[in-house]
Amino acid sequence: MLKQSIRLRHSLAVRVILSTVLLSLTVVWLTGSALNNQLSKGVKQVNLDSAIIEARSTFFNLQYRLAIAQGEKETVIRQLIGDVITSATTIGSTENTRLIAFLKTPSQTSYKLNYETHSNFITQSSVPESLKIRVRKSSDLQWSYSRFSYPGNQSSNIIILGDKVKVPNAGQYEMYLFISLANEDATLALIRSSLLLTGFALLLLIALITWLVVRQVVRPVREAARIATEFTSGDFHQRMDVHSQDEIATLGNAFNEMAESLQKQITRLENLSRVQQRFVSDVSHELRTPLTTLRMASEIIFGARENFDPNISRSAELLVAQLDRFERLLEDLLEVSRFDAEVAVLEGVDFDIVVLANKCIEDLALVAKEHSTSIIYLGPNEQVMLNADIRRVERILRNLLTNAIDHADGKPIELSVVYSEHDVAVGVRDYGIGIEPHLLSRVFDRFWRADPSRARVRGGTGLGLSIALEDARLHNGELEAWGRPLYGAHFVLTLPRAEGSSIENRLITLKPTI
Amino acid sequence: MTLVMVVDDDQDLAEMLSIVLNGAGIDVDLVSRGDEALEVFRNNPPDLVLLDVMLPGVDGIEVCRLIRAESMVPIIMLTAKDDAHDVVLGLEAGADDYMVKPFKHPSELIARIKTRLRRTNTDISGLLAISDLSIDVQAHHVLRGNKVISLTRLEFDLLVALAREPGRVFTRDALLSEVWGYRHSTDTRLVNVHVQRLRSKIEHDPENPEIVVTVRGVGYKAGALVNS
Repeated sequence: MLKQSIRLRHSLAVRVILSTVLLSLTVVWLTGSALNNQLSKGVKQVNLDSAIIEARSTFFNLQYRLAIAQGEKETVIRQLIGDVITSATTIGSTENTRLIAFLKTPSQTSYKLNYETHSNFITQSSVPESLKIRVRKSSDLQWSYSRFSYPGNQSSNIIILGDKVKVPNAGQYEMYLFISLANEDATLALIRSSLLLTGFALLLLIALITWLVVRQVVRPVREAARIATEFTSGDFHQRMDVHSQDEIATLGNAFNEMAESLQKQITRLENLSRVQQRFVSDVSHELRTPLTTLRMASEIIFGARENFDPNISRSAELLVAQLDRFERLLEDLLEVSRFDAEVAVLEGVDFDIVVLANKCIEDLALVAKEHSTSIIYLGPNEQVMLNADIRRVERILRNLLTNAIDHADGKPIELSVVYSEHDVAVGVRDYGIGIEPHLLSRVFDRFWRADPSRARVRGGTGLGLSIALEDARLHNGELEAWGRPLYGAHFVLTLPRAEGSSIENRLITLKPTI
Repeated sequence: MTLVMVVDDDQDLAEMLSIVLNGAGIDVDLVSRGDEALEVFRNNPPDLVLLDVMLPGVDGIEVCRLIRAESMVPIIMLTAKDDAHDVVLGLEAGADDYMVKPFKHPSELIARIKTRLRRTNTDISGLLAISDLSIDVQAHHVLRGNKVISLTRLEFDLLVALAREPGRVFTRDALLSEVWGYRHSTDTRLVNVHVQRLRSKIEHDPENPEIVVTVRGVGYKAGALVNS
């Protein structure tokens, strides 16, 4: 049932055919009924007319012969009535059965003679009382439809016609002629069944025609849908076949034009992206070569600085330091542009996050010390393996730690590691200057500074956190920040342990209890 | 005196490189075009080639392939950082090692060049045998039966490192340290590419190696000693 309703909703063809058939059914039913009524009425009228004519002639015949036999003996009269009845009820093989009842009008009690008679199978009670009353009241012939059962035979509709007859010396009688309508019934049944059969055949034909027509329309629509699906899955070379000049062809042409234009747009964007990639790669090469020369030159000068006077010597140191910074900035910019061009790729390997975290702490211990702070490791000592791009994860940790060192204000920094079967989380908490909550959403913005008046101690590039966020997202991970002035800040990195899966749980609560 | 051929189209960098190399007692032959490199190489064969990737005329990868086709000389590529594609192409074209521009210290470059030039394993004398190969460490050649198998110095060093301790499993990092002289490198592509190149020369069926065997998840080892 559910399947059916789904099919109904999903197939245009089924829906159109069904509604067409239902509408046609109504129309065929209405016209069929009207036709049936009209035909029945006509047939009945014809039969009634001939029945009236026949009855009149029979009644007239009897009346006439009775009038002539005025004064004859009772037996003669009786014989005469019998003859008329016999001749009226004698019929041809194809004709309907006729029966006659000859009854005395009940009010005529003064006459002793009784000529009442009737055909077999019928009695006085076979005539409906209502008809009898009408006959007695009226001066003309009366009729009525009724049903009549022949013994041993099925019942059939009949028409009963009656009129008054005057019998000499016996008062007023009534004569009733019963005419079976079996033939008429048969005709009407035939008409009805023909109409039904025709109607049914018509419906079948309509359904068939609708199906053929709908198929012509639906096929291209289905084709279009199929091609659109192929398009979605990346095959941009699919086109609709257009053979005709009709609306379907218009649809096909419009569809093909859309496909063409889409393909062009996509190709254009792909080219743009390729140009962008090419540009990034070229810039990288073009900048690196002079930077290499610069570095080597500066190293040679730096190496010989002891022979120079203090100003030149200090300049050599600054030169080397700033070249370092320049190189970091260049690397970060290139990394950002790679993210923007969506060409950053993960090179996943299996590694131990605990080892990596401790390596980062060790590497930055000296820097932390320079800022009179330290990094404390709070986490498991056992192996916690995960599959990720180790270079990127290391970069995230370094960026978070350097950021914390920059803002720790001399207070110790905590690095925590929590893991579950599915995920691993690293939290970096500092208790330094903190940050206004409404500025939190901006900490990952490129080149954004919480306090522009505050000098950057570490000489960071201003891109670290932004790159860290992109790196985390590249792993389907998440990097979130919490902060409050004077209470410090908390950054939490959550990564799935298996490559390509997503995070199940946040293992470290971002907002610390303070 | 040692001669290094520097192929780089950047005049200033080339000059700087020669200053640094000369300072380390190394002679330098400067070539600024890719399509001139092979001719200079043939006329005056150097002890080592320092090759930039982006070159006018013929690019560095192609130059590397051309030189490798006729010589086993050590080749170090100079590439832009993280250009993974270039790195792998260069290694597959036959480069022994690569340096990322900009290098932190000139001394790093000198150290790398010296590692490639030094004669390794001079402490071992005589013949090493592994599978059906015999390795003459002193003469620096590998024989299968009477047939000499031509290996680059790096491939030879790699094979000797493994063959010295048959059955010992070397991690990629261990090989990087032993053969390339790296202390903290995580770039295992160097090892992978060169193991492939070595196998293609010494294995009967490089698809099913029997001499340099992969130990899944760890590294490589030399296969069983068949005849000594």
